[in-house]
Amino acid sequence: MALLEIRNLHVNVEGTEILKGLDLSIDSGKVHAIMGPNGGGKSTLAKALVGDEAYEITEGEVLFNGKDLLDMDPEDRAREGVFLGFQYPVEIPGVSNTYFLKAAVNAIRKHHGQDEIDAMEFLEMVRERARRVKLDEGLLQRPVNEGFSGGEKKRNEIFHMSVLEPQLGILDETDSGLDIDALRIVSEGVNAMRDEDRSFLVITHYQRLLQYIVPDVVHVLVNGRIVKTGGKELAEELETKGYEGFEEAAA
Amino acid sequence: MQAVAQEKSAYLEAFEANGPSGPSWLSALHERGMRAFEDRGFPGPREEAWRKTNLRPVTEAHFPVAESQGAAPPALIERLDDLGDSHRLVFVDGHFAADLSDLSDLAPGLTVTPLSEYGDTAPERMLSALGARADIDWHPFAALNTAFFMDGAYVHVARGALIEKPIAVTHIITAEADRHAVYPRLLVEAEDGAEVRVVERFIGDAQTGALVCPVSELSAGNNTVLDYSRLQEDGIATLNIGTVNLASQRDASLRGAFVGDGGRLARLDLIADLEGQGGEIDCNGIYLTEGRQFTDFHTWFNHRVDNCYSRQRFKGMLQGRSETVFDGLVKVFEGAQKTDAVQENRNLILGKRALAHSNPRLEIFADDVKCTHGSTVGELDEEALFYLRTRGISAEGAKGMLTLAFAGEIVDMFRVSGVRDHVRRVLMRRLNVEDADIGDIL
Repeated sequence: MALLEIRNLHVNVEGTEILKGLDLSIDSGKVHAIMGPNGGGKSTLAKALVGDEAYEITEGEVLFNGKDLLDMDPEDRAREGVFLGFQYPVEIPGVSNTYFLKAAVNAIRKHHGQDEIDAMEFLEMVRERARRVKLDEGLLQRPVNEGFSGGEKKRNEIFHMSVLEPQLGILDETDSGLDIDALRIVSEGVNAMRDEDRSFLVITHYQRLLQYIVPDVVHVLVNGRIVKTGGKELAEELETKGYEGFEEAAA
Repeated sequence: MQAVAQEKSAYLEAFEANGPSGPSWLSALHERGMRAFEDRGFPGPREEAWRKTNLRPVTEAHFPVAESQGAAPPALIERLDDLGDSHRLVFVDGHFAADLSDLSDLAPGLTVTPLSEYGDTAPERMLSALGARADIDWHPFAALNTAFFMDGAYVHVARGALIEKPIAVTHIITAEADRHAVYPRLLVEAEDGAEVRVVERFIGDAQTGALVCPVSELSAGNNTVLDYSRLQEDGIATLNIGTVNLASQRDASLRGAFVGDGGRLARLDLIADLEGQGGEIDCNGIYLTEGRQFTDFHTWFNHRVDNCYSRQRFKGMLQGRSETVFDGLVKVFEGAQKTDAVQENRNLILGKRALAHSNPRLEIFADDVKCTHGSTVGELDEEALFYLRTRGISAEGAKGMLTLAFAGEIVDMFRVSGVRDHVRRVLMRRLNVEDADIGDIL
């Protein structure tokens, strides 16, 4: 059974159909990349999967571990193991990064019938995970994303993911705005989490990120549908040839 | 204009029927208060400063003075422990409750006395300060208080005395005060170089429709630190309309912490007078309303001399169909150069039908000053709520977390730790975020 199974997904945003019957299946332990031109529906897919109400599902189904994902509230999707690294991480004034994460970890543990995490154990874990993405320790006590630079925000997303340990990590244009050093750090953070039970859906416009997070499968999303699927060499092909041919085919 | 034959108010009738009451030093003050009220009367609907305060629940009935002390139930008495270690002065329905108070081990230089303990001879110092600040010709409820108060708290800190342990003055309203008036009174004087923390708190029976009209006068001498917390946590049926006067002399630091979360109708007129150069008055407050509550903070900050500093930061959180007013004045008098004044009022609408009014006012008669104000009314950030939920936090928890964070910026500035901890607990309870999902985020 696939970890994530998307069948014939149609999604409207403000009355306009953006996803027009998308099918996608991700097995446990695999890294899938979705590439495509802007406006093709990449971010819409990410937001729809985590339950943003602005994205209206008009048709289709999504199964996560065999459960109906679309029927769940956003928090339940998270507790079941779906994580989205935002393209534009949100600033949360007044809520410290660490306390927020602790609340999130405990909500997830409670969902699985586990006890609250020990405070010392949590702090140690948080410090270790922060080091992994070279996130300054000072940022742990600061309000979530407030006053963070663009790169710090992206690293903070990967840091959150590494603390919450989801089964499916969706990364929405995590590479945008990152210089090569930051890109490497973020990628190493993701690669360190790769194992046979965890899958990733990496959404990107450029092939650059995929040199560091090497995907098992690459999909091309154009005009609301996946128009081609291949191996990692497909990403390189897109880098040299661009999306023109696909856009004509999809139109 | 129509000429109307002046009728006596029910308050004057009661006053005359009672005859002179209390010691002679008090009856003179009573007389003045009564005359002021009778000349002034309740505010009419067109008085600008009272336009948004619906006084009908007050003016439609007559509230005779609560003459006797009701029995405070254990649930209210337990709450006396909320604030942690403090000197304790408790009044029940306006009357000193010796059995609930604890004034043992007062540090040298500290005087804490219920006014009722003075017989016919009260100290000159107290007499000259009592009523010296409250403007009874201007504020009808301060006048009523001055006409009828029989007891109160006098706190005096001698020159140079540093008092660490807070002095908690609690006014308890019991069911027996229903449909009666209670007139709490507080007088605090910190002499030059002194430091003191005073907490004034209002709690009471949930069903009691009492009219509580407190008058508090606090004066900070040269180079003092005076910290005042005012926790208005009355029962939900109570009307609380009062005044607080803060006055700072040269280089004094006067800090105020204000919480309004009780009462059906609550209004505070906070008058701050900066009278000595280098003085600062720094007031932070939150109000948290629900149901049909109405809460009104009117501030009047007067920069009377140069080189003073004032801050007003008030935040409201409105649930249900509640309504709030923040109307804040910064007035810079002629010659008060180098004034540094900031006023901020932010409101968070949590109930779909809640209504927040925010009205900043600046009156500046000097040309070299720094005065800013900000005023907002908004809702919780939907994007932030969603972001928190995508990390596993429940919708309710996310709302609570963001609201607590909103209030936390103010509560963190409260200097008395017992007050800070108490207010955090109140917030957690009122916002329904006591569960472990949130934890200790403030």
